[in-house]
Amino acid sequence: MVNENLVKDVVKEPYKYGFVTDIETEKIEKGLNENIIKLISQKKEEPKFLLDFRLKAFKKWQKMKEPDWAALGYKKIDYQDIIYYSAPKQKEKISSLDEVDPKLLETFDKLGIPLTEQKKLTNVAVDAVFDSVSIATTFREELAEHGVIFCSISEAVKNHPDLIEKYLGTVVPASDNYFAALNSAVFSDGSFVYIPKGVTCPMDLSSYFRINSGDSGQFERTLIIAEESSSVSYLEGCTAPMFDTNTLHAAVVELIALDDASIKYSTVQNWYAGDEEGIGGIFNFVTKRGKCLGKRSKISWSQVETGSAITWKYPSCLLLGEESVGEFYSVALTNNLQQADTGTKMIHIGPKTKSTIVSKGISAGKSKNSYRGLVKMGTKATGSRNYSQCDSMLIGDQASANTFPYIKSQQPNSEIEHEASTCRISEDQLFYLQSRGIEFEEAVSMMVSGFCRDVFNQLPMEFAAEADKLLALKLEGSVG
Amino acid sequence: MEIIEKIKTNKSNENLTEIQKICLHKLQSSPLPNPKSELWRLSNKSKLSNFLDYSVNEKDSKFDIPYPKNSQSTIRLIIGENCEIKLIEKNYSIQQLSEDELKKYIKEQISFFNQNENWSDLLNLSLSCKNNILGLKINGSKIPPIEIFSHASSNSLNAKTLVIFLEKNCDVDLLQVNLGKENSSLSQSTFFCLKENSSVNHGVVSFGESRSNLLNSLNVIQQKNSAYNLGSLHFKFNYARFEISIKQSAGNAKTNIKGMQITKKDEQISTYTKIEFNGPNGFLDQINKSLADDKSHAIFEGSIIVPKIAQRTDASQLSRNLLLSNLAQIDTKPQLEIIADDVKCKHGATISQLNEEELFYMRTRGITLTEASKLQLSSYFQEVISFIPISKDRWDLLDKLLNEN
Repeated sequence: MVNENLVKDVVKEPYKYGFVTDIETEKIEKGLNENIIKLISQKKEEPKFLLDFRLKAFKKWQKMKEPDWAALGYKKIDYQDIIYYSAPKQKEKISSLDEVDPKLLETFDKLGIPLTEQKKLTNVAVDAVFDSVSIATTFREELAEHGVIFCSISEAVKNHPDLIEKYLGTVVPASDNYFAALNSAVFSDGSFVYIPKGVTCPMDLSSYFRINSGDSGQFERTLIIAEESSSVSYLEGCTAPMFDTNTLHAAVVELIALDDASIKYSTVQNWYAGDEEGIGGIFNFVTKRGKCLGKRSKISWSQVETGSAITWKYPSCLLLGEESVGEFYSVALTNNLQQADTGTKMIHIGPKTKSTIVSKGISAGKSKNSYRGLVKMGTKATGSRNYSQCDSMLIGDQASANTFPYIKSQQPNSEIEHEASTCRISEDQLFYLQSRGIEFEEAVSMMVSGFCRDVFNQLPMEFAAEADKLLALKLEGSVG
Repeated sequence: MEIIEKIKTNKSNENLTEIQKICLHKLQSSPLPNPKSELWRLSNKSKLSNFLDYSVNEKDSKFDIPYPKNSQSTIRLIIGENCEIKLIEKNYSIQQLSEDELKKYIKEQISFFNQNENWSDLLNLSLSCKNNILGLKINGSKIPPIEIFSHASSNSLNAKTLVIFLEKNCDVDLLQVNLGKENSSLSQSTFFCLKENSSVNHGVVSFGESRSNLLNSLNVIQQKNSAYNLGSLHFKFNYARFEISIKQSAGNAKTNIKGMQITKKDEQISTYTKIEFNGPNGFLDQINKSLADDKSHAIFEGSIIVPKIAQRTDASQLSRNLLLSNLAQIDTKPQLEIIADDVKCKHGATISQLNEEELFYMRTRGITLTEASKLQLSSYFQEVISFIPISKDRWDLLDKLLNEN
């Protein structure tokens, strides 16, 4: 039999990103109304079209109802009790990283994000977002040589308003859903990526989101455009300090891939999940969607979801272009009282489109982990294919795992395959590994990482190692 | 509200049975199911309202069993024809439930009802008059196969209710046939209670004529060590819903389900299943097949619920679908809701068309395309049809399906 105490004795490493950076911030008053939106827009010196976009979204949001169909239970969010803009105070304009507040650099240093020049050895360009604003973006000059634009979305609004006006809200319209409308009205910052025609982005791009204040929400917006025959790999990481209160995070990510372009979007989400009693933690309501507009374009989502008290997230692909490809690889781990309702939508519109879904859910403690996905074959999607696989692993007898796949086909000349299974950590396998001298916790983490291998194989190298460690860490003390 | 008025105008309040009154009262608060709920959102609203359009009929027109001819070895019952049965033989007995037994059991069931999940039952029980409720208590073994008919009359809304108690150690083959008539609606609710160690091979065959509608609800409670095998077939209905709810009340029971629905023209046929395991060591093997042609719409939604108490449950659910036309639609949603950790649960779903390679192979051997498609379809149908008891030799279901194709 598995020795319960053995596992519980394992060093319980606390959430190591839970510190708060003591930095002077500029916050606006709590609440949400037209004036607040105008104020945010004014602070960011935005053009009129963007303010109109925000106000229109706000009007739509006011008429919408918070969705309640997800298998999630959480206390009602008071949208008037949130600060919608919070930014670290700094000098008016910064020309180089040396002018960034050292405390901020230190923060990102602690998080393992290399912003300073000497640490730029890893070949990854980073856009670091702290509360509502982007602090710094590295490797910009080198990227610019290739014509790649990688900057915060606020800068993009100033420097490339035409691109923003052309693409913003085309994948996730403001009226798409409650949280997307809220984001469209109040989004403060995020990343913007533009890969010109024929360019393979010379390095991985990455953005790092950090929530620092406990009473402000984070509403970032990411827009990635890959022109014809270009390709890019984008990584996203997130952490937040430990607070007793719940912080709202409602992001929107839009991807656009034109002919023969490919976008790979990987996320390791490690927001603070609340303590063992479920106090505190981030409410994570995210709308992520990619549009495969061009022929033979490809969008691939891979995600490792380990944090947040509540996760509501369905990275999706609209497969419009002929022979376009959508992929979704996900590992969602919930422990203690975490709740996750996550999955994907693959909407096949164009002919000969293909999609693959691999989802692995692990629920431990008293948590709840649901896979919810939609695969739809439209009337014109002749010769299209989908393959989905969702596996769940249950650890302990109080966790729950649900699977809700919605499958809809209107095209006889297409094929959909879906399979799902649920299992637990096999005691035989555990015993076998232990009899070979492998420590108990190592055996468990080997088995979990074996279970998730299909997904980890899809992650960029640095992320795969981090994800593996993260899972082992999160599961400590939960196997019994 | 209209539907309630319709039932009430049909007869005065005093003539309503207690059950009818209770159900009417429940319907009064929300006379129609919530169209946004998962169970009803795909249901065609105008077809449902067409279902309710006909006037309520309590007296059947003369009914001729279509075919095959009655044979002596089968017990044949027709709900609504004042059928009285009391068979007490050496090995077995089949008796009608007393009015009190019926009332007590139905009332108990109603207390577990949920407005959306059991709307069809509530409607059925508020419409069903005394004559149209048949309650049976079956005991013993080596029982001759039983066939039970429910039928609708043209231009009317009909409700039939069947309650069956299978006593301990009982073993029986039972075929239920629901027949629609031209321009008719039939509401059929069946309540099955399997006592310990009992086992049943239950067949449900439902087919209609042009523009017939069906709401078919099946509620099964399985006690320990019981085995419930269901083979079902629904075709030729303008609008049909087959709602199955199975509860393994203390686990340790076996459930096998093989169902099929075939839609053509602008028909909509849907199957909803909910299987709950309320004890350990439960077993489920379920396959649901759909075939949608022309402009029709086939729907399958199946949920498997495994609470903490249901350790060592072994459940599998498969939804296989054939989509044969550009204008047809298939929706399928198998679901798992699991809390127990020591379980084996899986589900799968596929939507495709006839296998082109197989068709090509047969054609190279000189078989025409029509024949080759028929061959493929017959193998697709056969798995389910061979699971329906009594039907094999006598009902020619396969021929019926293939020749109408």
